[in-house]
Amino acid sequence: MSKTLLRMTGISKSFSSVRVLREVDFTVNRGEIHALLGENGAGKSTLMNILTGVVTPDAGRVEFDGKVIAPPITIPKTEAAGIAFVHQELNLINDLKVYENIFLTRELTGPLGRLRKGEMRRQTAELFQRLGVQIDPDALVSGLKASQKQLVEIARALHRNAKLIILDEPTTALNNEEIAHLFDLLRNLRQKEGTSFIFISHKMPEIFALADRYTVLRNGAFVKEGQIADTTPAEVTSAMVGRSLAEGEAYSPRTLGEPVLELDHLSGPGFHDISLTVRKGEILGLTGLQGSGSTELLQCLFGDRSFTAGKVRVKGKALHPGQIHAAMKTGLGMLPADRKENSVVPDLNLLENMVLAGYNLSAWPVRVHAKEERASYQQYQKELNIRAASPAMPITGLSGGNQQKVFLARWLDTGADILLLDNPTQGVDVGAKEEIYHLILQLAAQGKTVLVNTLEIPELRQVADRCAVFYEGGLAAVLPHEEIEANRIMLYSTHAMEE
Amino acid sequence: MKKKWTALWRGYSFAVIFLVIFVFYFVVSNGLTWAGMTNILRHSAVIGLIALGAGLVILTGEIDLSVGSMLAFTAGFSVVVFNASRSALVTLVFALACGLVCGLINGVLVGSARMPSFIVTLATMLIYRSLAQYFCQQLDPSLTGGGNSLYRMNQEIAGYEAMFNFGNSKFLTIPNVGWVLLAVTALCVYLATSTRPGKKWYAIGSNERAAQLVGIQVPRERTAVFGLCGLLVGLASFLWICMNGSADPATSGSSYEMYAIAAVVLGGISMSGGKGRMIGVLFGTMSYTVIDKIIVALKMDSLINDTIKGVILIAAILVQTAGPQLREKFRRKI
Repeated sequence: MSKTLLRMTGISKSFSSVRVLREVDFTVNRGEIHALLGENGAGKSTLMNILTGVVTPDAGRVEFDGKVIAPPITIPKTEAAGIAFVHQELNLINDLKVYENIFLTRELTGPLGRLRKGEMRRQTAELFQRLGVQIDPDALVSGLKASQKQLVEIARALHRNAKLIILDEPTTALNNEEIAHLFDLLRNLRQKEGTSFIFISHKMPEIFALADRYTVLRNGAFVKEGQIADTTPAEVTSAMVGRSLAEGEAYSPRTLGEPVLELDHLSGPGFHDISLTVRKGEILGLTGLQGSGSTELLQCLFGDRSFTAGKVRVKGKALHPGQIHAAMKTGLGMLPADRKENSVVPDLNLLENMVLAGYNLSAWPVRVHAKEERASYQQYQKELNIRAASPAMPITGLSGGNQQKVFLARWLDTGADILLLDNPTQGVDVGAKEEIYHLILQLAAQGKTVLVNTLEIPELRQVADRCAVFYEGGLAAVLPHEEIEANRIMLYSTHAMEE
Repeated sequence: MKKKWTALWRGYSFAVIFLVIFVFYFVVSNGLTWAGMTNILRHSAVIGLIALGAGLVILTGEIDLSVGSMLAFTAGFSVVVFNASRSALVTLVFALACGLVCGLINGVLVGSARMPSFIVTLATMLIYRSLAQYFCQQLDPSLTGGGNSLYRMNQEIAGYEAMFNFGNSKFLTIPNVGWVLLAVTALCVYLATSTRPGKKWYAIGSNERAAQLVGIQVPRERTAVFGLCGLLVGLASFLWICMNGSADPATSGSSYEMYAIAAVVLGGISMSGGKGRMIGVLFGTMSYTVIDKIIVALKMDSLINDTIKGVILIAAILVQTAGPQLREKFRRKI
């Protein structure tokens, strides 16, 4: 039996002409915990989806446990081979009991298809005992904590004789004690049963505490692999980030006005004790790993969710938690992440989508003035360079970048002067990205205050006056423009460095 | 050019459906008069107003099953108010207010308490009709107009004749109630297409989350739409008693919620909300009225009525939804 458990060679994949993976090689040995590293969008998820049969590769081959998995690779084939994926959003059925989840689709049955519940319970209890997990097989999954659900899912994978378990950011929902327990369990399984794990995480301390080997992907290509013992967080980080491209910097310092947005020890869902002051005309970047709390902070400022403690002052006036309408009246506007879910009103046309927010600031006039709306559309079209055939065309007919410009116009149309932009270049092609960032600079020069939450650090570097880095809900650092640099930010946001 | 036609068909299929049914009626009725045609409006008036209300609710992505019972309740109590107050004006005001309150009850439960509208209006459907029937038996006979299974307007009161005349005479050769329907339809079309509240309702039905994030106060708008639906049912109730002089708590408005929804859907408004035109509701309603008339003209048993209505509804929706899918499949094969 060879040492290598999994060997993926020359894996390539394109989604509608965008190359996501380029001839990636990836190997995992038996009985090892292998960290798969890369920035968001580096191709980790696609690679794992290919491995589990969710996505079919354009080229490449997968060899598992000494045998080539014959294409097409499908989910049943990879499951049968012994590959299991424990997703970030767990895949258990909440309304079933623990043992029912473990045996789902492979229930033990007696004559006439009667379920052998007693036997299933007994086997589940045995399995849990083997793992050192204390969960009642009869408990309802909906009543379990996130950490317990994760353990159930790992147990389910083992019950199906998984030889390789993929863990996608398994620690995001866990506290320190639970993380320690999980890690003990993983080490134990590695030792006793020779199970291998692919561990996807952004948190450097965890990777260095747990993993044996690592592989780094960047922009869909293989960059580096090696022993964790032979490297340092700094080295891994720079492999992930790469050399930053020669940036034609559009940024130029501006004189900032008086403070317009003051956060005073603000806490809420997913973030805590944030104090920040933003000045008129400033562009503040927010960044951090997924789930670090910066998105939630913007949502709370806009009143989409409620902050629980602390104070926010907008132009000197205190903001009430959880009231979008009130926030809009103070001059706030938010471009939420996930445009399709949160911004697009598909049954209204472009113009109607653009003017919709303005309708809510005052009930009068009741009548819609089509002529004036068209006039203001033409103005924004010019100003923001919206490429559309007509204001009456369906919003869904526009490209992502143009849609985003329409939604930016939506807020400019309300007269908002503090813009909260959550991941504004998501699903926007490269050219339009540039344009959006130029717009942001332009707006700031006109005296608008802009908060940009994004994971794309090179983009922040082009526009932000300062950058607030989040780690696990707290403010890890606030860097001035000169210090906004991918490597440095990655170190703060993975907690490899503290301020 | 071809694209333009398919877009037109998709937007106005309700008019084509109505035209087909109407032409069929024209043929079988053997000499249709102008009076016969305007009569379609008369018989569409009550259900049409209700369907307009239901249409607004459906535009926001909700549903109102209580409108039929609400009609029985509001019409019944309007009769009581008429018999007690002896005033047509007071009765009108009461009918509108009563409908509004019934609708607002649905609205608050769906909008503010965030309960599913299907369940809420199913419950109020039971409640409103039951109350109408219960009080018909319990109230003093002088208020219910003598009977204990029918709310009957007291014909000796001076206002009765005025109301009855309003309900049964014509203005410029078109029944008064038909004018009311046309006017309210125009108002609803205006509201939906040219006012801020209308746009907000489309937005809520189209993408509630996005609507919320542009600052639309969704609970408040929901409540308002249900209230408006109730108001229209109140107006329909007033027309009902003007036309009939009485209201039967057990049968008046029975199954009207289903006819209303059918008319809305036939009128091209999507059940998932956000899509469709209010003018379609008028055509949807009239289509169904014409089907009634065809059955009478053909001297068929009226019990077959609902079968035909059901089949036409399925056929219309099949054309609307399955048509594009079939075409897509066909295209892929080539």
